[in-house]
Amino acid sequence: MCLGIPMQVKTIEDYSARCEAKGIERDVSLFMLQHEDIQAGDFVVVHVGYAIQKVTPQEARTAWEIYDEMLAREAGNA
Amino acid sequence: MSNSTLDSNKQAKYWLQRIHELDLQQPVRIMNVCGGHERAITMAGLRSALPKAVELIPGPGCPVCICPEEDIYEAIQISLQENVILVAFGDMLRVPVNVHHGEVRTLDQAKGAGADIRPIASPQEAIDIARQHPQTTVVFFAAGFETTMAPVAAMIAQGAPDNLCLLLSGRLTWPAVAMLLESGSPGFDCLVAPGHVATVMGAEEWTFVVKQYSLPTAVAGFYSESLLAAFYSVLRQKIEQRLFLDNCYPELVQQQGNPSARKQLQQVFNIIDANWRGIGTIPASGYALNDQYAAHDARQRYPDYRDMARKRAGQMPPGCDCAKVVLGKIYPDQCRLYGKACTPRNPVGPCMVSDEGACRIWWAGGVRQSRSKIA
Repeated sequence: MCLGIPMQVKTIEDYSARCEAKGIERDVSLFMLQHEDIQAGDFVVVHVGYAIQKVTPQEARTAWEIYDEMLAREAGNA
Repeated sequence: MSNSTLDSNKQAKYWLQRIHELDLQQPVRIMNVCGGHERAITMAGLRSALPKAVELIPGPGCPVCICPEEDIYEAIQISLQENVILVAFGDMLRVPVNVHHGEVRTLDQAKGAGADIRPIASPQEAIDIARQHPQTTVVFFAAGFETTMAPVAAMIAQGAPDNLCLLLSGRLTWPAVAMLLESGSPGFDCLVAPGHVATVMGAEEWTFVVKQYSLPTAVAGFYSESLLAAFYSVLRQKIEQRLFLDNCYPELVQQQGNPSARKQLQQVFNIIDANWRGIGTIPASGYALNDQYAAHDARQRYPDYRDMARKRAGQMPPGCDCAKVVLGKIYPDQCRLYGKACTPRNPVGPCMVSDEGACRIWWAGGVRQSRSKIA
């Protein structure tokens, strides 16, 4: 349940951001990142619809590739 | 395979090699307290890649697994007897309570019996449902550790509709570790602390394990290289007896954690003594809404069910060893029911229901027959 998924911020309106990962878009709350300057194009780690931390593009990319590997392995065991 | 995955694999191999070079003369038990860690360890096959002397023990890392039976019973009864919409994270819907044959055992069954129960993936969905049904009370049955309770706090702090209330089963992670350490037989020699809990709360929360109990501790992320770096750190700390709190997830875990999230948690919740399924009461380990937000407290709105539920405190299904699994006293496949009476399709205990439960993770990882034993 504590899983965090990296997503890229597309647009921001108040504390709500439209974010994208792997072609899937979601509304994400930035309310927990009020102390950060978040701009369109930035990457954030999202947990249950809330951004919990800002990350670099490199970290976001690495995370996704590793999650993909893990999911593929899990699908093989199911 | 891209460059970053190659780098990641290279780093994992590097840490693995360094671990194998360590002079491990005695068995060392490393506990993790995060379902995400256990999933990453199991799916990457890290147990079999490590030296035989290293044991990786899944501990209290699944909030669904430690949600007390009485809270689930309370949620079921409110959903059945009151005119409400009950929302909860999906895992909670399948966790069974121990009731007489023919009675409703899960929220899923309550739904089948006519209750309006909806799985959600985000607190924002609870807000949306409450706004769509302004005449109906929406009860959000919220279980989770700090990482999940922070968004719940943010949802309330930002301003939730009047018809939305919370049935809270939120817990703090570190008090369960403190309880194990205080017991005198914690069952582990080193700790790998949870990466996303530390992202929100700061790594400093885990300093007590090093300072008060002299156990090597490292915060880890969810990839093999971060976990292996953390294993190497704690093993080396133990061998050299140079103890410190290591941060092996610096890309996310910053000094003092996430300040906005911590402020919102503090603003919305009080910390209370709380019951953990099969374990009992752990001091200062639970979240409750503070007086300012009492209007959003389902327990104040529906007080009758609390007394009814309290009578069930401590109940577990017969034969279920989930409490021992959660405390790291046995491995999942040491439970008598594992893979026999208890499978993901027909779970008896919560550890086989939740994606964060050690039993469910081991089953997904292909463990079918009992072969493990904690030293």
